[in-house]
Amino acid sequence: MAEGVDFESLVACYYEPLYQFAFSLARDESDACDLTQQTFCIWAAKGHQLRDASKVKTWLFTTLHREFLGTRRKQTRFPHIDLEYAAAELPVVPPPTTNRLDAGQALEALARLDEIYQAPVALFYLQDCSYNEIAEILDVPLGTVKSRLTRGLGRLHQLLTGTAPGAQPQPPNL
Amino acid sequence: MNRDEVKTILLLYRPGTTDAGDPEIAAALALAKQDPELTRWLVEHCARQEALRTGFRQITAPAGLKEQIISEQAAQEKIISWRQNAILAAAAVVVVVLVVLTPLWFQHRGKEETLAIYRSRMAGIALRGPYLMDLATNNPAAIRAYLAQKQAPSDYVLPAPLEKTAVTGCAIEGWQGAKVSMICFRTGKPLPPGQQSDLWLFVIDRFTVKNAPPTGSRQFVQVNKLMIVTWTQGDKLYVLGMEGDEQTLQQYL
Repeated sequence: MAEGVDFESLVACYYEPLYQFAFSLARDESDACDLTQQTFCIWAAKGHQLRDASKVKTWLFTTLHREFLGTRRKQTRFPHIDLEYAAAELPVVPPPTTNRLDAGQALEALARLDEIYQAPVALFYLQDCSYNEIAEILDVPLGTVKSRLTRGLGRLHQLLTGTAPGAQPQPPNL
Repeated sequence: MNRDEVKTILLLYRPGTTDAGDPEIAAALALAKQDPELTRWLVEHCARQEALRTGFRQITAPAGLKEQIISEQAAQEKIISWRQNAILAAAAVVVVVLVVLTPLWFQHRGKEETLAIYRSRMAGIALRGPYLMDLATNNPAAIRAYLAQKQAPSDYVLPAPLEKTAVTGCAIEGWQGAKVSMICFRTGKPLPPGQQSDLWLFVIDRFTVKNAPPTGSRQFVQVNKLMIVTWTQGDKLYVLGMEGDEQTLQQYL
């Protein structure tokens, strides 16, 4: 059981990576703070139901991702604009900077990816999550995770370098 | 595996992680090390990966977020604890009130369901006339004999004034499975047409009715149009009623 997990220690251990993940998804400081706080709030209420204490990290990231998706579904104030159409409005990331990226540039590039690739790519870089962990957090099959990562990373590298990293990946089986 | 396939596989490779343990990536890495062009590409790729990784990790949580999460949770727990205490206190009060009031309520209900209801029911019988008496007679001995024959209370003791009052008959009523002897009297006052009596005595085993008054005490109470007096004597409970006031009724006791 995860009942023995101390709340303060848990927050100290995971608030930063959870915030990073939340910010990479929401790209707004206050939304990211809310998502992080909400995740711990849900943990306080339901965390005791988790039987395997080794799954705490996965549980927290899964919960945050679900909360983010739930928030997005409820959000009606801002209409969704496909990035294909909004690309012109996004800042250009010049190719020569790829070896010295700051958080803003990395996030700008991430924002230009199709939404479906953003969460796996963020987990890939932010947390060094294994493919299995990413699959568990996003609740998708392992093959789908690899497929999304391949396509998402290929697109990301393309955006940052202006060239394809290798052969153009085949459309994944989503 | 051609170069493009190797590059595609190695897109998922992060140096310094366990990715190299993946069989497909391990095979692609082995091929890349044997091919100078792929080796060069891999070096650039690793640098790019590291730059991206570093870039993403520069996202920092606002100062005070950790403390805010912890303090808000503590406040939430206090609220929950306060609510639980309030609920527990309220539940305790309810239990105490129930414990205190339940016996009183049952006591009250007991009285209501026994003596008061019995009196009320007997008064209703007396007032519902005109009715047929089981036995119409002005002979007190015949009434006792009839009641005894029907196994209704017949060994009742009448107050002296009532002993001298003229009887008109009797009937046998029931109360919670027990028989009640109803003896009808006539005081001599003018009666409405069809009415044969104006004073009624009900006799029942005293243990059938809970909360019967103690021996020696008489309870006067008004029930509808009747003034009723209740007393016990021996093993009998007596209810005597008539239209009038307490003083009038006292004349027959």
